[in-house]
Amino acid sequence: MAAIVDERLARTFVELADTLVGGFDLMEFLHMLTERCVELLEVDAAGLLLADGRGALQLVAASTEQVRLVELFQIQNDEGPCLDSYRTGRQVIVRDISAADVAAQWPRFAAAAVGMGFANVLAIPMRLRDQVIGTLNLFGPEPDGLDPAVARVASALVDVATIGILQERAAREQELVAGQLQAALNSRVIIEQAKGILAERLQITPAEAFMMLRQFSRNNHRPLTQLAGDVINGTASIGAVDGAES
Amino acid sequence: MARDRAVRVWEWIAAAHEGDGPVSVAAVCRAAVLRLGVDGASVAAVSAAVGREPLFASDELSGLLEELQFTTGEGPAAGEFRLGAPVLVADLESAVARWPGFVPEAVAAGARAMFAVPLQAGAIRAGVMSLYRAVPGPLSAEELADVLVFADIALGLLLDTASGVSRLPGYGPLDGLSDSRAVVYQATGMISVQLGVSLEEALVRLRARAFAGGAAVGDVAAEVVSRRMRFDPGAGANT
Repeated sequence: MAAIVDERLARTFVELADTLVGGFDLMEFLHMLTERCVELLEVDAAGLLLADGRGALQLVAASTEQVRLVELFQIQNDEGPCLDSYRTGRQVIVRDISAADVAAQWPRFAAAAVGMGFANVLAIPMRLRDQVIGTLNLFGPEPDGLDPAVARVASALVDVATIGILQERAAREQELVAGQLQAALNSRVIIEQAKGILAERLQITPAEAFMMLRQFSRNNHRPLTQLAGDVINGTASIGAVDGAES
Repeated sequence: MARDRAVRVWEWIAAAHEGDGPVSVAAVCRAAVLRLGVDGASVAAVSAAVGREPLFASDELSGLLEELQFTTGEGPAAGEFRLGAPVLVADLESAVARWPGFVPEAVAAGARAMFAVPLQAGAIRAGVMSLYRAVPGPLSAEELADVLVFADIALGLLLDTASGVSRLPGYGPLDGLSDSRAVVYQATGMISVQLGVSLEEALVRLRARAFAGGAAVGDVAAEVVSRRMRFDPGAGANT
């Protein structure tokens, strides 16, 4: 990969590592991870799914509306390369989603993904030893547009992310993992609730509310999940001045 | 599949229901003891107003553990569950340094493993479910997955008991349980502003509107988020 990408990549690893210490906010981390993947790896879009401990996957981050819909579609139809990656614990590479064998294997997914403008997908499992806690999924617009080097780098980023989520290299007990996954997913719910509150107060869409939250979070150095909690219990000043403070 | 697990757990709970009233957390506790390989189960409601209110204990020791945690402020279920993660203690004795005022008495009374799960959805925390075992040992992955579903159903029952919809004929909380789409939580936030009520009350009202109208909770939530439906303080929902 070109030197300039190496430099950005190195910075990304440092950035990710930085988030693992003080002031760490998991939701912001996961959203940032999907965005960095898109920037660095020159894919179109990225989505991140986490397991909820009951056998279902939950969508936690998506870099575009199109990828959000395709990920949700897979979950709701229980069909797709991202689900297969989660279940098998292995990377799933689909070079050309419009190919006949792909449509035969995942008919509903293939139609939806092509409809959203995606031609290739790489699903990377998030693993800690024997346990798969989710997947990071990269979508591109061109058939065969996936660089093998991209897959390797993405794997490394995913490994860092998995450690970030589990926050303990030596996490042996399954219960510890389960607990931390529950905490991650609960954070996500808090953020959705805060989005709804802001959306109604300001008469904007939940997506706009989320952008506002992230912007405010960055500008005021307030971790995203905590800011969401502030919105919910009425102590946040976000939205009071319609972003003028940002 | 997650849906199959939820259906199975609900069947267990429905089968453990006794009496003429609506299904409640009592059935959840009884089914947990029967099916999860635990020796006791209890549920307590949590609210800003009342604090902590024990609702049901399957046996005397469960009730005692609840009381002990309340008075000492220590123990797996005594914490704030600020992060929403369950507190799973496979070997209670090993946790004596963490809860010195609670563990010795709990162990002496016969509890050797305890598992506490918040009944929670984001910032809504309605209660806690506690399980104990007389022998130490962790929950298996299967058991833990089931426990989480038990907790989901218990949360649904707490909310639906508050609104009265659990008394409706044909009631089953599975619908509200299986839908964890973001719209449900966003709609909860929106409704809380529309009605000027807490998130918990807003979710109670959202679920009640869905069940009473025979609609899926997620569908009603989608209507709210797309602004085709509002909840007004004066009446019920307006479309």
